[in-house]
Amino acid sequence: MAQDTQVQDAPVVAGGTKKAGMLNRFDNPWLNWKFLGGAGILGLLFFIIFLGYQFWDTDLALSARAPLNLPPLGFENWRGQTGIPEHPLGTENSGRDMLALWIVGTPRTVFVGVIAATVGMLAGIVLGFMAGFLGGIFDDVIRLAVDIAITIPSLLVLIVIQAVLGRVDLLTMALLISLFSWATPTRYIRAQVLSMRESGYVQMARLSGVPVRDIMFKEIMPNLLPYLSASYIGNMQGAIISAVGLEVLGFGPQRIPSLGVAIFFSIEAGALFRNMWWWWGIPTVTLSIVFIALLLINLGLDEIANPRLRKAS
Amino acid sequence: MGGISLNYLLRRLLVFFLTLWVAATLIFIIPRLAPGDPIAAMVARLSYQAGFVENADLIIEGWKERFGLNDPVYVQYLRFMTGLLGGDLGYSMARFPSTVTELVGRALPWTIGLVGVATFIFFIVGNLCGALLAWARTPRLVKVLIPMSMIFTSIPPLLAGLLLSYTFAFLLGWFPQTYSYGFGLTPGLTLEFIASVLHHGILPAMAIVIVTFGYWALGMRGMMVTIEGEDYMILAQAKGLKPFYVLYRYMIRNAILPQMTALAVSIGTLVNGVVLVEVIFNYNGMGTLIVTALREQDFGLIQGTSFILITTSALAVLIIDLSYPLIDPRISLEGR
Amino acid sequence: MTKKNESSSDRVVLKVDNLRIHYATPQGDVIAVSDISFKLYEGETLGLVGESGCGKSTTAYGILQLVQPPGYIVHGSIEVAGTEVLDLEEEELRKFRWTGLSLIPQGAMNSLNPTMRVKDQIIDVIEAHEGKQSDKEALRERIFGLFQNVGLPNRIYNMYPHELSGGMKQRVCIAMGVALHPTVVIADEATSALDVVVQRIVAQTLVKVKDEIGVSLIVIGHDMGLLAQIVDRIAVMYAGKMVEIAPVANVYAKPLHPYTQLLIESIPSIKERKPLKITEGITHDPRNPPSGCIFRLRCPFAWEHCAEVEPLPIDVEAKHEVACHLFDERFEDRRANAYATLANS
Repeated sequence: MAQDTQVQDAPVVAGGTKKAGMLNRFDNPWLNWKFLGGAGILGLLFFIIFLGYQFWDTDLALSARAPLNLPPLGFENWRGQTGIPEHPLGTENSGRDMLALWIVGTPRTVFVGVIAATVGMLAGIVLGFMAGFLGGIFDDVIRLAVDIAITIPSLLVLIVIQAVLGRVDLLTMALLISLFSWATPTRYIRAQVLSMRESGYVQMARLSGVPVRDIMFKEIMPNLLPYLSASYIGNMQGAIISAVGLEVLGFGPQRIPSLGVAIFFSIEAGALFRNMWWWWGIPTVTLSIVFIALLLINLGLDEIANPRLRKAS
Repeated sequence: MGGISLNYLLRRLLVFFLTLWVAATLIFIIPRLAPGDPIAAMVARLSYQAGFVENADLIIEGWKERFGLNDPVYVQYLRFMTGLLGGDLGYSMARFPSTVTELVGRALPWTIGLVGVATFIFFIVGNLCGALLAWARTPRLVKVLIPMSMIFTSIPPLLAGLLLSYTFAFLLGWFPQTYSYGFGLTPGLTLEFIASVLHHGILPAMAIVIVTFGYWALGMRGMMVTIEGEDYMILAQAKGLKPFYVLYRYMIRNAILPQMTALAVSIGTLVNGVVLVEVIFNYNGMGTLIVTALREQDFGLIQGTSFILITTSALAVLIIDLSYPLIDPRISLEGR
Repeated sequence: MTKKNESSSDRVVLKVDNLRIHYATPQGDVIAVSDISFKLYEGETLGLVGESGCGKSTTAYGILQLVQPPGYIVHGSIEVAGTEVLDLEEEELRKFRWTGLSLIPQGAMNSLNPTMRVKDQIIDVIEAHEGKQSDKEALRERIFGLFQNVGLPNRIYNMYPHELSGGMKQRVCIAMGVALHPTVVIADEATSALDVVVQRIVAQTLVKVKDEIGVSLIVIGHDMGLLAQIVDRIAVMYAGKMVEIAPVANVYAKPLHPYTQLLIESIPSIKERKPLKITEGITHDPRNPPSGCIFRLRCPFAWEHCAEVEPLPIDVEAKHEVACHLFDERFEDRRANAYATLANS
């Protein structure tokens, strides 16, 4: 069945008498609309935030800088007050301007994700390569550790830690989260390294006496790049989810809030019951956009790494 | 099928017990690694709140004695571990006469019910959607609609909970905003109570389902695409089997196996999400209990709740892992 | 092993006419099967040979209506016992499959569903075509009968594919392939992945079952030695073209087409060590085949005429045709020369 191996991803159409229009999978894989779309959304978001830093007074994100509980421009709150141009996205109950809060809070939330994901990813690469390439006792111990770490819901241990530490700054929070963000990348990279190790060209390199280090960094690493990027983005999603979770439980920095902390304040103040939708809604929608963008990037990278998924649908 | 190989069974049990041991040890060590004496600080805060400002030292000592905090650390550790083995999680500091076991015992069934129902729904809906996305005979309209319904995928359940709560409970008033059953109802097997539980459970469960099923759909689609290229799929087509039979017996049946493994891996993340969804809906399960404990600085209760939830997750993973060989005939011989 | 030449009648059960199959690629279509025509007679075993990439498997999958995209059938006609396969509606085609045309795949590979018991994979084909079987006992006996035909023990009834050896899996595939007594069975490299001894046994099983059940068989393979043992006629393909189709004795005794000659000479012999004549595979770009004869670029006897006119199949005797200008009556001198050269080499 030699001829059929390269067309395996094609949908099974009875008889196959029709000409299939799926030639776009031979195009440049990086021109993937999901990947570009996700990256574009994130880029645009951060461009707007950059503009915000230039043209808006970010000190308004501190408390008592604005009238309380104002709705966004064009809306009315339960007291009958309407929005004013000085605070176009409204204000919350301690007098923070929502626009300033949004400008300051969004990058802070993403920051936690980037730090935690990077640290976790680096650990994952080291452990995954050790387990996959060295094998033996390394593999046994690392696999066991991964199995355990993946089973434990990280949020619960983080809650215990934070219950002891109290509120912490964002960097500490990011580092705490990274304690739990190495397991998934390790598991993933180990599996990829194992399958690459068995592949013909790596076997060939080993037989011809290429040093292990060279095989790792010259043969395996470049082929793993799309997988590693996808894993990194996934890790970032996970880290931001953990960070937002901890913040919503009240563990975030309180003076200059991040988006999760804003949601915590709004829940504490019963914003859901008082129809102050802008208070929790703006952070929620912003975070949702960030997550959707990350998902799109992740899916795009998946398709770049795995041509089988790359079919016109 | 030949049953589960001993090797596989032993490894899964080892992971299970090691998980419990690691979790218990972490929960024991963390407070003692922190700077200062947080337990004493907490006890002090409690005493303060109770109004006994005078003789605070004596009172702290009294509390410490009562909780055995003056013994050497290894004695405390041994006592803590033997306590766990016997199911004794100690007392709640904030609601002293109540034991942690009592409080957890009231909250745990609600969380298990919520997670169980949500998992059941997203696993079935997700895999079905993924299968339909990959199947060549799925109507075009369905193939367009499914990805559109996956828009919330990857958003944390907590945020989905906020959006659902606001839209369907606050604005539309279709569902209650808080708690797991109606005010003034006594729990029991009455129709009214069950209806109320379902009514209250829909939004929290949906908050988990709408952000999760898309992942399963994508995973399933990937597996189905791989399976469509297998030699046995060509043979199935050549055999002239009915398309629907091929879909479920050859494709879904084989693609679901790796999805089961993925389910075991995702339990931890799932529990993280449920804890926060419970907070949004003030659902009286473990998540709300742990947040209440946080607010009351009830460290014993935080420890106990975390440990029991971790144990429950590990147990769920163990059950999935042990049932896996029953559905995959290959695993029992290969021993993985 | 005795030849079964006398068992093949003159009734045609499969008639392939002008079949053309392309694979779509961004740089243009690859011509996998180029306007081939042949007949399969009742009770006959036809061997389909050629080097890898010559289109023999694609031909088989075309006949079975199993060409996978981006491959597609451009035109042609496939007639099985009077039924035009290409005209069947989807549901008609489904019902026609396995009763009209069945496939024996490389069973040692991944052709059996790993999560289904052997019996269930045979039962599902029976029930798909004959409806739900209420008499479970009879169904079991019927499957045991199939097992007996192919020399399988009854104990594998409840087993899973991974519990069987390669040879056993291949026998399961044979048992499955003949379960509904189809008109034509196509065995695609059915013995290729097995070791030599098992190959022989499986090949003998195949012939035995074929004779017992009385089906017509197409065997695709590349082991000319093994094929010689089991087939009645051999069809030789080169780069999507059928170059020669002849009774097996003719092919080995006096191969006509220059390519067939090369193939026969390439069969290793234990008696003498001879240098390999075939040096490379198909040399031209399969998107732009050369004008005239497809083989002329590698043919030792090619001349200008071969580049200008495409050779059509010429009947040289009963059930033996060859597509080469050398066998055109007009070029008799050249043929004589060519044979002289060949004899001297």
